[in-house]
Amino acid sequence: MSEKLVNLIADLQEEEALATARQLIEGGTDPMAILERCREATEIVGKRFEQGQYFIPDLLMSGEILQEISELAKSRMKKGITTGYAGKVVMGTVEGDLHDIGKNIVAFFMEANDFQVFDLGVDVTPEKFVEKIREVQPDVVGMSGLLTVAFKAMKETVDAIKEAGLREQVKIMIGGAPTNEQVANSVGADAYAKDAQHGIELAKHWVTSC
Amino acid sequence: MGKEELFQERFNRYTTALKGGKPDKVPIRLQLSEFMAAYAGITLQDIYYDLDKNIAAVDKILADFDMDVIGGTPSLWWAGQHDAVGAKYLKFAGRELEENRQFQYVEDEYMLADDYDAFIADPTKWILESYLPRIHEEFAEPGSYRANLALIKGTAAMMMSTGASQQAGAHWAKDFGMPLSIAGFSKAPFDTLGDTLRGLKGIMMDLRKRPDKVLAATEVLVAHNIFYGMATSGGDTSLPAFMPLHRGSYPFLNPKQWDTFYWPSLKAVIEGMWKLGKQTLFYAEGNWTPYLEKIAELPDHSIVFHVDQTDMAKAKAVLGGRFCLSGNVPNTLLAYGKPGEVKEYVKRLLNDYAADGAFIIDSAGVMQADVKAENIAALIEAAREFGTY
Repeated sequence: MSEKLVNLIADLQEEEALATARQLIEGGTDPMAILERCREATEIVGKRFEQGQYFIPDLLMSGEILQEISELAKSRMKKGITTGYAGKVVMGTVEGDLHDIGKNIVAFFMEANDFQVFDLGVDVTPEKFVEKIREVQPDVVGMSGLLTVAFKAMKETVDAIKEAGLREQVKIMIGGAPTNEQVANSVGADAYAKDAQHGIELAKHWVTSC
Repeated sequence: MGKEELFQERFNRYTTALKGGKPDKVPIRLQLSEFMAAYAGITLQDIYYDLDKNIAAVDKILADFDMDVIGGTPSLWWAGQHDAVGAKYLKFAGRELEENRQFQYVEDEYMLADDYDAFIADPTKWILESYLPRIHEEFAEPGSYRANLALIKGTAAMMMSTGASQQAGAHWAKDFGMPLSIAGFSKAPFDTLGDTLRGLKGIMMDLRKRPDKVLAATEVLVAHNIFYGMATSGGDTSLPAFMPLHRGSYPFLNPKQWDTFYWPSLKAVIEGMWKLGKQTLFYAEGNWTPYLEKIAELPDHSIVFHVDQTDMAKAKAVLGGRFCLSGNVPNTLLAYGKPGEVKEYVKRLLNDYAADGAFIIDSAGVMQADVKAENIAALIEAAREFGTY
């Protein structure tokens, strides 16, 4: 039945997926196993998006289903058990920019891939990035922007991270429609992620090779 | 050459291309926006709040750069007008933001899923009674003394800013021989619903949860958006209405959703305006490559297709000959590239796509304050060098 759950989520069958998840939990399935199924389903959703089968509404829909199921599963988990994270990511849309669709999708996929995500939201100042990096010691920092004016803010953020003496501790990726490798170089980031899937591959690669 | 003659020459150059013809030179139309403020050395706060400075920034650009048309002032809106009614969904430099920060639109689900029926039954009534009070502090209590006063203040402010824009247009024509690039404004019904009413997440969920309501609402908006395009242009049919297009860009919707929810009502608005003689500037923000074949269903010359990240070669192959194309010097290049790179891009663009006319050179998207003046100069220089027929 848990195989069925993966397919229901991946096919975006909200009600059936929720009902199945509930049945599994009530039947005594380990909530952690359910969360693992969610992760598998996200992988399928991500592949379908990459292949042009799924579009933005489908990603948002899968996000909604997964949120409902993971809340259900987490409410049944014994307190004190923390899941083993693949790594920590601090991310946000940089100062002066409010576009967050792309950033939210990346955050969602990162979480689904076992990263612990600290999403700072939109219009995030360099100081807020630095403060959070100091606090949670992430492996990866993700900066997003849809406007070209965001490039300046990205550079200022990287500079602020350097000044705080934290640059060597983190890998930095940037993303957003007008960004590219050249922008990543000029703002001082480590890489440019062309989409969510690519961003996750980068983060996984960084975490395992560190 | 006298200013009147100059105006006529530029106007003919631009409108010849709009109609699919081959003018003497490729017309230059640049969406310079907030860059004009930066270039004129005026803060964004002043641009948003001081109508005279907003217009003065354009004067400085027109004195220094050789273009064929101008799209208007750096600020889209007069912030004072929004302050008069207490707009909660906008943030401006000098009020919520520091003096040189670009304005911000705060997206939210201002229209709820439960509002669909009331909206569909009578959109104007719903907007006045439910929507305006939600997004404006001054309208919080409809019918109150404060709300009534705000309606008067808002209307007066709207007339002041519209009046100032009209006078500015006349001043640019008379003193600089410069025509406007657009007259009026409209939107795709799906964007009207998705941009400022339901918000992105709201409308994307609606496609699955209440598709019939989305369809009914977009259908209701068709007549409104045709009227809006004609009303905001004061009935002018010599210039296109500006239509910034958002949620129809790839990959927001899958092809079936695009065909069902986005396209029929947008097509109806464009065809409705075209029946009245009004052309649409189809400002296709993002990538529209997968939808070009559908767009080609429109009547010849009913739109000018603007290319941002759409594949220009495919746009030319599918739409060329029947519609004028415009675009697409990348904003990243204009802000971060070198003049030589800009010149090279323009040369290739004109060489590949402008040879038979029906082409207008422009940036890919609306520019911001970070664009470099020397790159604008390089764009214009190259457009004149390689864009003279």
